[in-house]
Amino acid sequence: MTGASGITTRTYKAGSIIYFDGDRSDHIYILKSGKVVLTSIKLDTGEEMKENVRLGEFFGVKSVLGKYPREETAQTISETTVLVLRAADFEKLILANVSIVRKMLRVFSNQLRRIHKMLRNVLGQADAVNPAIELFSIGEYYYRNGVYNQALHAYKKYMEHYADSGNAAKAMQRINEIETGNYKPDTGPERPRSEESLFGGDDTMDDFRLDDNDSDEPREVMETKSMLDSELNNFFSEEEALPDFDDFSMDEQDNFSGGRLEEAGTLFEQKRFDNALNLYREVLDSGELMDDNDIAKAYLGIGRSCAELGNNKEAMQSFSAIVKNYPASAGAKEAYFEIGAILDSSGQKDKALQYYKKTASLQPNDAFTNKAAKKIKELGV
Amino acid sequence: MDSFERFSVEYSPNEIIFCEFEPGYEFYFIQSGKVKIVKVINNIEKTLDVITTGDVFGEMSILEHEPRSATAIALDHVKLLKFHRDNFDSLLEGNHELAYKLLLIFSKRIYDAKRRLMILLLDEPSLKIMDVFIMLAEQTQSVDPVNEMSFAVTPQQVASWAGMNLKNVQAELDKLIQLNKIDMYKDRIVVKNMRDFQRLVASRRKNMYS
Repeated sequence: MTGASGITTRTYKAGSIIYFDGDRSDHIYILKSGKVVLTSIKLDTGEEMKENVRLGEFFGVKSVLGKYPREETAQTISETTVLVLRAADFEKLILANVSIVRKMLRVFSNQLRRIHKMLRNVLGQADAVNPAIELFSIGEYYYRNGVYNQALHAYKKYMEHYADSGNAAKAMQRINEIETGNYKPDTGPERPRSEESLFGGDDTMDDFRLDDNDSDEPREVMETKSMLDSELNNFFSEEEALPDFDDFSMDEQDNFSGGRLEEAGTLFEQKRFDNALNLYREVLDSGELMDDNDIAKAYLGIGRSCAELGNNKEAMQSFSAIVKNYPASAGAKEAYFEIGAILDSSGQKDKALQYYKKTASLQPNDAFTNKAAKKIKELGV
Repeated sequence: MDSFERFSVEYSPNEIIFCEFEPGYEFYFIQSGKVKIVKVINNIEKTLDVITTGDVFGEMSILEHEPRSATAIALDHVKLLKFHRDNFDSLLEGNHELAYKLLLIFSKRIYDAKRRLMILLLDEPSLKIMDVFIMLAEQTQSVDPVNEMSFAVTPQQVASWAGMNLKNVQAELDKLIQLNKIDMYKDRIVVKNMRDFQRLVASRRKNMYS
C-alpha cells in the first residue's frame, strides 16, 4: 500500500530480518504491530545486546540521518507490520511533531555522553576532572601565553561560578592585573599572537597544513626534521619578542605540589620513567603550581622522562615550552641543553650547536655550562 | 531565522564566546563568520574544528548539565543566534528546521565518536591504521569502496585518529609500503586494495572477544 506521501506499509513473517548490521539504506521504520528485536554488539566488550522496539516507536533512524551503515540487526519475533519512511518523509513527519525531536535528542545526547566516556577511558584520560581547577588553569594558560582577553574571560567565569574553590584570590589578582594593564609576564602592550606563533609545530588532527619540505631524505627523517624545524623557527622568531619574564611567584608556596615534584624526581632517579612521567603530568595538570621555577621543573621532568622513554617529540615540546614560556626560570638552561641533545641525536648538528652555544652563554656557570662546552668541542667548532 | 533577531549576538575577532570548563546553558547558531573550537591538551592549545555559517555549536548544553568541553573563539566578525536551553521547547516549536538539523548533528556526532572508538579498541597497531583508512573510505559515502583509493591525509592525521604516536605510525606505514599495500606521496596516501584492509580488520574484530 503506497500512500501519496511515499510512506509504505510492509508485513513480515516471524523470524524475518528487516535489515542487517552493516547494511546501507535510507529506510526508517515505525513499528505498527507485532514484535521487533534489535541486536547489536557492544563495542568495548563484544557482548551481544538485545533491545525490543515498542509499538509506535521509530527504529533505523540514526544511521539514515547520519548517512552511515546500520549498527544493529532488526529481526521480527512474530508476524509484524511496519511503516517504511525515507528521510524526507521522516523530516516532514517530525517537523509536525516536535515533541518527538526533543525525545530523540535526549536519547541521542545520552548515547553520545556514554561513547565519549568510553573514548576517554580508552585514551587513558582521567574523567574525574574538577572543572573549577581546570577553568582556572585555562586562564593561567592564556595568561602565560599573553592572550589576555581570553585569560580574562576564563578568570571572570571562574569568579562567576567557582569563586568558593580556592583560587579566587589569585583569579581576582589576575583580573586586576589584566584590567589595569599591569600584567607581570609580558611588559609589552596586549598583542594577540597569531596561532602560528603560539601553536606552531603542533600536530592536531584537524591541522591540515601540509609540509612543504622538499627534501629527498627518507620520510621519517624528514618528518622529524620538519617538526623540529617549525619548533625552532617558532622559537627563534619569537626570541626577539620574548619579554624578560619576571619571577612572579606567589607568597604562599604550594608544599603539596612541591612535595609531589620531589617524589616524581625520586621516581625518575629510580629509573621508573613511566611513573615519574605520570606524576609530573599530574602535578602540572593540577594547575596548583604557581611558581615559574616549579612549572619549569615539571616540564623538565616530563621532557627528560619522555626522552628516556624514546618519545623525542613530546620531550622536545616540553623543553620548548620552558624556553618559550619560562625563559627566566632556573630550568631554562637545562632545557636549552636538552633541546641541543635531541637535535644532536637526530643528526641536526648545526641546530644542535646553536642550542649548545645558547646553553654555554647562560648564567650561572654550572655543570651544563661544562657539558655544553664539551659538546661544542665534539661538534668540531 | 528572521524571527529570531532578539537572540542575535555579535563577537569581534579573537573574542572568546565560551571557555572550556565554564558552565554552559546556551547553544549557538552561526549566522555569519567563523568560529574556532579549541581545547588545551597537555598545555598546548589544539584546534579541533573551524565552523562557519549555518553550523550549530554548544549543543551539548541543551540536555546536559556538564561544563563546556571545549573553548569557542571568534575568528573574524561573528554574528550568532544564542539560545538558552530553557527556551529550547519554544524554540523547537518555532523552528522545526533547526530541530531537524540538531537531530542530524547528533546522529553524525554519535557515529563519528563510535567509529573512532572502534579504531582505538583494535589491539594491533597495523590494524588500527588500516581501520583509519576504512573509516576515511566510509566517509566518502561510496556504498562500495573501490579496490584502490587515494586519501589526502598526512601521517600526523593518521596518528591522531589511531590514537598512536607519530613514530609508531611512520614505522607501520613503512611496513605497509614495503609490503606494497600502500603508496605514499607528499600530499596523499594511496591504499592499493581496500577490500584487503576490510577483510583483515573485519576478521580481527570478529575474533576479538571470542
